[in-house]
Amino acid sequence: MYPRPFFYHRASSLQEAVTMLSQLGTDAKFLAGGQSLIPLLKLRFANPKHLVDLSFIKNTSFIAENQNAIRFGAMTRHAEIEHSALAQKIPVLHDCAAGIADVQIRNRGTIGGSLAEADPSGDWANALITLDTTVHCLGKNGERSLPLKDFVTDAYTTALAHDELVKEIEVKIPPHGSGGAYIAFKRSAPVYPSASVAVQLTVQDSVCKEAAIALGCVGLTSIRAGEAEASLRGKSLNEKVIETASEAARAAADPQSDMRGSADYKRQLVVALVKRAIQIAMRRARGERVEGSHLYA
Amino acid sequence: MVEERNNGGKGWVGASLPRKEEDRLLRGRGKFAEDIKLREMLYLRFVRSPYAHARILSIDASAAEALPGVACVITGKEIAAETQPFIEIGPDHAQKIRDFPMAVDKAIYQGEPVAAVVAESPGIAEDAAEMVNVEYEALEPVVEAEEALTDRSVLHEAAGTNRVWNGVWEYGDVEQAFKDAAYVVNIDRLHFHRFSSTPLENNVIIGEWNPKDDRIYYGCNNSFPSFAIQFLAAHLKVHIDKIRVQTFDIGGSFGIKITSYPQMAVCALASKKAGGRPVKWVETRSEHMVASAHGNERTFRNTRVALDKNGVITAIDSKHIDDCGAYPRYEPLGCVIWSQVFCGVYRFKNARIDFWQAVTNKCPVGPNRGYSRMQHLWFLERVIDICAHEIGIAADEIRLRNYIRPEEFPYTTPNGCVYDSGNYPKMLEVAKGLIGWDEWRKKQIDAQHEGRMIGIGIGTTLDSGTNNFGQSQIINPYAPFSGNSQGANCKLDIYGEVVVAVGSCPQGQGHETTAAQVVADVLNIHPDLITVRTGFDTERNVHTGMSGTYASQFAVSGLSAVHGAAQKLKTEMKRLAAFLLETNEDELAFGVGEQGPEIKANATGKSINYWGLANIVNVNSAVLPESLYDVTLNCRYVWRAPFKVPDTKAKYGSLTLTYASQLHIAVVEVDRETFVPKIIDYVAVDDCGTVINPPIVEGQVYGATAHGIGAALMETCVYDEVGNMLTSTFSDYTPITSMNIPKIKYGHTSTPSPHSYSGAKGMGEGGAAPIHTISSALQDALFAHGIVINDSFNNADSIFRALKAHDGGQRAELVKLERKQASSAK
Repeated sequence: MYPRPFFYHRASSLQEAVTMLSQLGTDAKFLAGGQSLIPLLKLRFANPKHLVDLSFIKNTSFIAENQNAIRFGAMTRHAEIEHSALAQKIPVLHDCAAGIADVQIRNRGTIGGSLAEADPSGDWANALITLDTTVHCLGKNGERSLPLKDFVTDAYTTALAHDELVKEIEVKIPPHGSGGAYIAFKRSAPVYPSASVAVQLTVQDSVCKEAAIALGCVGLTSIRAGEAEASLRGKSLNEKVIETASEAARAAADPQSDMRGSADYKRQLVVALVKRAIQIAMRRARGERVEGSHLYA
Repeated sequence: MVEERNNGGKGWVGASLPRKEEDRLLRGRGKFAEDIKLREMLYLRFVRSPYAHARILSIDASAAEALPGVACVITGKEIAAETQPFIEIGPDHAQKIRDFPMAVDKAIYQGEPVAAVVAESPGIAEDAAEMVNVEYEALEPVVEAEEALTDRSVLHEAAGTNRVWNGVWEYGDVEQAFKDAAYVVNIDRLHFHRFSSTPLENNVIIGEWNPKDDRIYYGCNNSFPSFAIQFLAAHLKVHIDKIRVQTFDIGGSFGIKITSYPQMAVCALASKKAGGRPVKWVETRSEHMVASAHGNERTFRNTRVALDKNGVITAIDSKHIDDCGAYPRYEPLGCVIWSQVFCGVYRFKNARIDFWQAVTNKCPVGPNRGYSRMQHLWFLERVIDICAHEIGIAADEIRLRNYIRPEEFPYTTPNGCVYDSGNYPKMLEVAKGLIGWDEWRKKQIDAQHEGRMIGIGIGTTLDSGTNNFGQSQIINPYAPFSGNSQGANCKLDIYGEVVVAVGSCPQGQGHETTAAQVVADVLNIHPDLITVRTGFDTERNVHTGMSGTYASQFAVSGLSAVHGAAQKLKTEMKRLAAFLLETNEDELAFGVGEQGPEIKANATGKSINYWGLANIVNVNSAVLPESLYDVTLNCRYVWRAPFKVPDTKAKYGSLTLTYASQLHIAVVEVDRETFVPKIIDYVAVDDCGTVINPPIVEGQVYGATAHGIGAALMETCVYDEVGNMLTSTFSDYTPITSMNIPKIKYGHTSTPSPHSYSGAKGMGEGGAAPIHTISSALQDALFAHGIVINDSFNNADSIFRALKAHDGGQRAELVKLERKQASSAK
């Protein structure tokens, strides 16, 4: 790979990284795992003058439990989450981490980088949006915390200032009786999904109390399928109810035709994935252990 | 552990010997062209056209040339001024196509090189390439072959037409067969899609034009160098023997690396301009996807099929239009190569195929695995399945009624090809047994009742190997090629090492191992005692003008040459040993003694080892009588295929020597919600005659099967209407990965070839059996929904759209069945 020439800087603390970016100006970029940035550099689609590498900063890669929440250092690699017993407490996290790209990329790519990149086809933003997720950010004016829904504002756009970075991600462990699933549909391992669906259901006496459904890759950002969610609330989750919800999700999706599929087909995929994700979420809400992750064509 | 000698003690040919090259290649100790670093080497980067069709108004390279570290910039115009256009194989107006290795006045496909930057490092070359300012005027692109034939926008102005070639193959009495038919099936349009191979190693070329003697050196991974140098010599205006080509380990080619000679030309010319410093070009993956070579796309129009009342095909009439991309290059050879399998595995005698080829504003094609034949075999398999469904005959039954029968071999096809051997009904029986045909039929019916879509498909296909280059004269009577040949050298080296050199350039086919097996049997020693030198080198003088690794032939042409060379060596060794051991030549035993490989006199028990034999010839020659002065123990053998030049007017003759066959069965379920076509069971049965090395054959069957499944369901080169290639990355092209490959059940039958010394047939390309098989299975799954599979590429999206858009009407638009009153064929 032969990118355009750039200056490489290695930060020794997150604070130093923020200061560096602030001083180097808008031609500088943070480098986390490089999952998106390295291919862009290779193709010369991105040509920053300065790269500030975050990989050598201590205590930025960790998974910890704290007051009913799981906290992730921003530099935690997908593979570390995939193999973490702690992260298993929220099955959606494993669903997502285990299916991102291929092994090599999972060993490099980070959860913080994925959120900060805000790629419409990225996995983490859509997987976490149905959970109570907070993004802790660090900038030159100090720290601030944003709910994930306020963090991602548009395609490839977040609330982060240029010289601000993601420090930590905090995901609340859903209460007993709540189950979730994340399914992304991919044509082969290394490619972005054609569509992805995250579902989180709270079920009591087989009646759905609370529902969150998010659709990924089919809009500029993750789309909450509000009508689909509403159609589940207070209902016993039978086939007909699930069918109604999945059709409401089809209507909520706003995909583009591309090599990953025609817009109509992606809407159809949303229907299929919502159904499957609801089925898995229901079973998990009942306390069953269910394997589930990315689907391959 | 693989049992080393499982051939019943009969010899090394047929034994499951582990590959000799495995240790080197699997441990990352191979040596590839990219590993070669020469002194003062420069690096080349192409500047490529973003347009599919555009006039080049100006090229300003001054900024690039001024960048420190840049040696020079070379443009298409400069090249055109000092070279001749590449040879065109096509006749008449096709001879007027001016093909240079870089665009001269206009670019005619996206990614066509327009300039090349040569610099001290690859990074500087890429920086400088960005600084080359090219001004274009966009022209109207043509991306469909049928549209190209209207000549609305002509690519090659000197040729005056986009038509590259046209010819009619007609045999028997087609019209009478249609008159006598019980059924006539009309199929409006079938389409075989464009896809490619994605070798792990992209193209790599080092070119060095030595200013002292005007000799050119190439270190590269071209897979048919003896073909490439013929194009290069004429183009560069140098004598062909002044070009040296060397290849090393090659990380896959699948035919796609045959047509890297334009880039080879640029590297040599850039070296010349840079004062003779060697110039290396390492292709990037994106470049490979957009601008190396793709497989041929073909459209089959207005097909009419005549059948008798039993569903036996009596005639086929069809128009085929091949799309060769922007420049013909290896084409229009594909316009005849398909006819090696004119009738596929079927018995019909009457046929008329009107064959066309056109250029389009897309990447030029190259001989992609299964080259030109798979398109035709897919067409025939589509015809069989569509007829079967329309008339109501089961897919296995209609095949049995139409297959060439085992007792008919050697079988002469309507166009004079001789199928050496085969037993297709037996393969079907084996495959049906392995997959559990009857059980699947039952499960399929149950599944249909539940509304599920399960299909079972068969693909029977051929892998024709060792071609008669005389078929090029059917394309162009002036083509100076015919027959086929391969060279090999077998020697006792100066101090007695057995060394074999082959003229091939293997890319994972295990030539080191199989060549050693052949020689081991001749000399009765272990294959580990034999050194095999693979890799092509014109200076080694082993090769012939047909040498390379292509067209499923090494087991026949390569190993016949090795066998011939080993026999020659053995004859010399016998003469020498008989003299030294004072016995008769027929009273000697070859084997291994206490001092290694040796020859022993039966009568006396006296022996001489290989060192002793070599020593006498090379170091201790005063003991030799004059009558043995011709013994060199260094034996080159050229094997020639026993071909005649075909009758070019009648388009009749033997075009290929061996016909390996493949029969695959797939069970495919189309998911009712995601529409993903999932292979739930798969069998591949292979017959390549006598097997030299079972694991090597089996490995190539798996490889070809994976490649075919990828092509059928995942891999397609997509262009938009203005010729932008939309699948230029692996994210979009999605080459098949291990996660997409189902478990493949492997079966084997063997009908030894009477056309090769060992009974082996060439194999490896595999006839693209999975593409035929999966099309067949999908049609079986979807026929009840009114879908006839009319494209070789199908994925979840296309199946979804076909089912939604047509809702039962697609079949009616595509296929018409006529039931005739007339009596059936006699």
